Amino acid sequence: MSNQRQASSASQVPHLSPAELSYLYTSLSLPKNPIRPDGRSPTQFRPLSAETTILPGTNGSARIGFADGTQAIVGVKAEVEKTVLAADTLDSRSLAQHGDALNREGEQGSAAVSGQGEWVQMSIEIPGFRDDDALPVFLSEMMRESLVGSVAGGNGDAVKEMAGGLKGRLVINKRWHWRLYIDVLLLSQPLAYPLPLLSLTTHLALLSTKLPKLKSTGEEDPFFDDDWAAAEYLYPRSNISKSLSAAPSYPVRPPVTLLVISVGDNVIFDPNREEIAVADAVLAISVTRSGDSETLKLLSIRSIDPPSRLTQPGIPNSENVNMLGATAAPGEETGGQEEVEGVWRPRRGGVKRSVIARMVKTVLGKGGVGEEVLEGLEGVEVQ
Amino acid sequence: MKSLRRDLSANPQAANVTSKVFVRSTKSGKVQKIVRELYLREDIPCSSKLCSQCPTIAPADANGNIAPFILSDRPAGTTAFPRGHYLVPDTNALLNGMDLFEHTGAFYDVIVLQTVLEELRNRSLPLYNRLLALVKSDEKRFYLFFNEFRRETHVRRGPEETINDRNDRAVRLVASWYGSHLQQSAKKGKKEKSIPAIVVITDDKENLRKCKEENVAALSLSDYVSGLEGSEMLLDMISESKDARDAKETARGELFYPEYFSMSKLTTGLRAGTLHQGVFNVSPYNYLEASVKTAAFDKPLLILGRDNSNRAIAGDSVVVEVLPKDQWKSPSTKIVDEEAVTRNDNPDTEETEAVVTDRERKALQEEVKKAHGKNSDGKPQPTAKVVGVIKRSWRQYVGHVDSNSTGSQASGRRQQNVFLLPMDKRIPKIRVRTRQASEILGQRILVTIDSWDRDSRYPTGHFIRSLGELETKGAETEALLLEYDVQYKPFPKSVLDCLPSEGHDWKVPVSKEDKGWNGRKDLRDLLICSIDPPGCQDIDDALHARLLPNGNFEVGVHIADVSHFVKPNNPMDLEASVRGTTVYLVDKRIDMLPHLLGTDLCSLKPYVERYAFSVLWEITPDAEIVSSNFTKSVIRSREAFSYEQAQLRIDDKSQQDELTQSMRTLLKFSKVLRQKRMDAGALNLASPEVRIESEGDEVGDPLTDVKTKAMLDTNSLVEEFMLLANITVGSKVYESFSQTALLRRHATPPPQNFEDLQNQLSKKRNMELDVSSSRALADSLDRCVDPKNPFFNTLVRILATRCMTSAEYFCAGAFTESEFRHYGLASPIYTHFTSPIRRYADLMVHRQLASAIGYEGEDGHAVIEGVSTRNKLEDICRNINVRHRNAQHAGRASIEYYVGQALKARGEKMAADGVDAGIEEEGYVMRVFENGVVIFVPRFGIEGVVRLEDFVLPGESGARSVAERRELAPHRTTEFDSEEYTLRVEEKGHPEKERSVTVELFQKVRVNVSSVKEEGRGAGKRRVRILVTEA
Repeated sequence: MSNQRQASSASQVPHLSPAELSYLYTSLSLPKNPIRPDGRSPTQFRPLSAETTILPGTNGSARIGFADGTQAIVGVKAEVEKTVLAADTLDSRSLAQHGDALNREGEQGSAAVSGQGEWVQMSIEIPGFRDDDALPVFLSEMMRESLVGSVAGGNGDAVKEMAGGLKGRLVINKRWHWRLYIDVLLLSQPLAYPLPLLSLTTHLALLSTKLPKLKSTGEEDPFFDDDWAAAEYLYPRSNISKSLSAAPSYPVRPPVTLLVISVGDNVIFDPNREEIAVADAVLAISVTRSGDSETLKLLSIRSIDPPSRLTQPGIPNSENVNMLGATAAPGEETGGQEEVEGVWRPRRGGVKRSVIARMVKTVLGKGGVGEEVLEGLEGVEVQ
Repeated sequence: MKSLRRDLSANPQAANVTSKVFVRSTKSGKVQKIVRELYLREDIPCSSKLCSQCPTIAPADANGNIAPFILSDRPAGTTAFPRGHYLVPDTNALLNGMDLFEHTGAFYDVIVLQTVLEELRNRSLPLYNRLLALVKSDEKRFYLFFNEFRRETHVRRGPEETINDRNDRAVRLVASWYGSHLQQSAKKGKKEKSIPAIVVITDDKENLRKCKEENVAALSLSDYVSGLEGSEMLLDMISESKDARDAKETARGELFYPEYFSMSKLTTGLRAGTLHQGVFNVSPYNYLEASVKTAAFDKPLLILGRDNSNRAIAGDSVVVEVLPKDQWKSPSTKIVDEEAVTRNDNPDTEETEAVVTDRERKALQEEVKKAHGKNSDGKPQPTAKVVGVIKRSWRQYVGHVDSNSTGSQASGRRQQNVFLLPMDKRIPKIRVRTRQASEILGQRILVTIDSWDRDSRYPTGHFIRSLGELETKGAETEALLLEYDVQYKPFPKSVLDCLPSEGHDWKVPVSKEDKGWNGRKDLRDLLICSIDPPGCQDIDDALHARLLPNGNFEVGVHIADVSHFVKPNNPMDLEASVRGTTVYLVDKRIDMLPHLLGTDLCSLKPYVERYAFSVLWEITPDAEIVSSNFTKSVIRSREAFSYEQAQLRIDDKSQQDELTQSMRTLLKFSKVLRQKRMDAGALNLASPEVRIESEGDEVGDPLTDVKTKAMLDTNSLVEEFMLLANITVGSKVYESFSQTALLRRHATPPPQNFEDLQNQLSKKRNMELDVSSSRALADSLDRCVDPKNPFFNTLVRILATRCMTSAEYFCAGAFTESEFRHYGLASPIYTHFTSPIRRYADLMVHRQLASAIGYEGEDGHAVIEGVSTRNKLEDICRNINVRHRNAQHAGRASIEYYVGQALKARGEKMAADGVDAGIEEEGYVMRVFENGVVIFVPRFGIEGVVRLEDFVLPGESGARSVAERRELAPHRTTEFDSEEYTLRVEEKGHPEKERSVTVELFQKVRVNVSSVKEEGRGAGKRRVRILVTEA
């Protein structure tokens, strides 16, 4: 049971004493410039190495390793599938091409053009967890919802292709679609909450994903070019020039999910395990670049149960039986409710609106963390 | 964030591993990315006898032998490459010139690249198989070089490089690698002088240019061939290259035919059921009419006109779309002959071409008129148009050049287009570019179709070779064999090597201890005899009957034990399985097995001991079968009778010896068996066969050799026991091999097949044809008798036979037991067991039966592998079904040709006396068209089309020559009643009854049969002409 609870919370609780927790909390909540245990600035990410297209048998794949040794591999496979139309998706809109004899039976199929979220399947494997444990299920749903939820705005040819987001891209025609299997494999024990690692790896894997080039047109049964070199990227690129120096630009990119914590009034990115243990609030923020506009778009915010609530509280000297009589009178009832300087108390209650607002702003703002991350990812050479 | 790609350049092994990535779409609709890793090696030899290095590195097999090197150390030279050369063709060169590469006069020492072979397989499977056959045969010295696996010659595809460019680069790389490799490794002393040039043959201009840049010798196919001896003939063998066709298309761009649907559209439609797939069958009477039998409908769909048949050629597997109902038509009631309709087309000028010429359009219009007729027979039927071709079944066609198409300057050496008229009337004319028009005129020539583009009314092909002068025996026989795809080349050495080393001296071992006697019964004491057609050399079967002590009889059928001599999977077995059957022509027999076996060692010749496979029954005097038994045996036939001889001996009361008595017993039983079979509903079918019995005397009238098959009691004696043996063996084999037994079935024909015939019979003779079961059909056929016309019944039987499906071999697992039925024989199960010398199926059944009875063979372990896998068996069934049909057709065509020649010989003799009067015979009207009838002449077993001009009207002058008669055609008019099946022919303006001729279906007419030379049309072509002289 306790294992279950741990799994659902942000991470296993590190074995820190209440005093250590209290110290950590105090240094992270220093106004203006918090001191992180590894000396990073609040918005600084841990160094990582990345490569793409590492699994030849997949449609797209990526590997990211953090410097602390955690590594994740993501493989994306695509499969052609017949679109089954549920009765309630019937729609009178007719997108049928005129005069195509093959469309006669396809009247009911117009609704399918919009694509369905369940066409993207994600499975996450974390060592030590069953695939139906809460952590993998929760993580995959968190990443999947932002993936299928992102819908591109703006215009331009490439964007048009992505109209309807990833879901729309998976539509081949009214009767056929691609089904995407995203398999995420965490290679090491989750030292910290693995969400950012997995999200970044998935992002890269999707960028490198290619689908075979469609040769048939319209409502025909799909028929593909057998030359893999002719395959097209799932997320189209705008500058096709293959000069290696110029990084390709993506009008539409898959979303990234960032983990942000607040400690006191401070907002801290890419927290490690110890930092999460003392966080007031843990948020998973999914963002994406929307269309050709410069601004980032917020896709979702999920709060994650911070493990700090589960930690053992520290006991102020006033209550410590060992110290009994040394500091306070025994009859004095503090009730353990009050904050005592230097004594760890599990967090309770909510987070201030202003803090949440600042967290979001730091991610979305111009020159903010979100942009920085996306730029960093763009720097990874995707083949 | 930084990207950290692992750097593999430092790894020395990395260069040896590469991968090939492609997308595979499976039939079930899956689309997979396939990655194949390639491990490159350095021990793939160049296989040149010049090389001193490769023999040391070439990989050896388990016995330590390395494959012999193929490429000659002294390859042939040409003027351009005097020191000899090896050829490296690219894919296009092979696509355009496979016939050249097969030519025995040139193209030796060819390096076939793996890259090219694989590309060829994707482009054309038949060509791929032909190339593989070339690589396998030793004499042409084709070496398959696995360039993709050799490190030095492997080419990695660059970014943005197309597959074609990459493959071209691979070809160039191999050429330059071979050059430098041979330079380095050529044996000392041979150096300098005799390093052969490596010549790339490519038709790709860009590739030629790059070859030049990279200093690789390269020539286009036509340039190379021009430098060879006899280049004119060779040049004709190049297919019209794609480039030339492309150029033509852009130049003119006028398209005659609609485009085919894309493959994906076809599969979508087929799955959705809006399109249908089937084999394109052209009507033998009307080249503009075809039918496609599809799985979805009971009756075939009609395809009318060139537009709708959209470049499909008889035999192609096509996809059709049903036309709207207002375009439905009834099948044509007219005879339309391509030769006649399009006689004046010019192969060179295409400007005036329309897909449907006016004359053709007129022919079609008249059919539309018919569609509005009110009779039940002619009610409009669903029509369809071809929208795609799944598989072409183009083959090589035999024909002759249309002399009209050669143009005026036929003498020049200039390349010109000519039309080839194929022998098979269902194949359209083929446009052939040739430089030797004048030479091949008047010859039987072999051509192949290369393509049929949208901008051309006729398919384009190229010349392969000439078979010889038209109408010479050799050319015509070869033409026939080619046309029916009969393997007629002599048996290769590998096959002959499988024969027993003793040759004709082989004998059944004397000592019973010999392993040859293992599992064999000694039946040498039985009074066995064989009954066959006169002059039969390959005696498959022999019989005996004797009284048993218990009052029952023992009857035995003894079949030549061919499986003893033909072991599974040796070259002889493979050759036999390809040939499938022995083909009998009038003057020639194309054996399935080498002569030694067929006519001697296996043949159950009289007076000598032979191995046999015996079926023995115990039969009560009432012909009830008590038990049956199968055994391998040794027999000694007492006598080989012909049917007549046997009949005479049985009838001769003075003959009372045991052998004759046993034959009488057999005859008695056979009659009972036959009656039982008839009671069960077996059909007595008729085929219009005649036999040719040439006594070899040149002086006599050759026509006397043409004999209709006489049915003696002894014929049916043999037949009944063979049927019994086949049925008994069939059930035994099926019992043991429920999945893999090789059986023969004759599907129950769908009743709608008989509709036309039923209509005709009830209209003309008021007779009913009950097709509800084979029994009912047999009975109603018996009732179709016209007392005034004894042949009428046979005629109906012939027509009924044509309504049925043909019997086929199959593998037991392919059908449910209820579908095993043999409709014609009314037997629930059937197989072929009794003629293993001339049919491969029987040989297979022998093996299965041997295994079923636990016969262990000479060496103690029976080998039936190759009989036990269903897939392989189904392949064999498919092949022997085709071969069987082809053999029948070839045999018939051969007789037809013989009859024609006999008539011609007779005609010439008569002509010497004055006038060629032809020969008067009886004929019967088989079909009535609007502009002619089809007449069957039983005397010669031929049927022929009689056109308007060939009706001799009363009071007409006796003009008989073809040209004269043709003049008559435009002056004639007809009155056709499609409901009554009558045709009245009269002269325009002379409607008087006395001056017209009326013919009707099934009518007996007097005809005049002669062989005439076609004038004005194809040179020297002959046909059998039938003149109706008296209705």
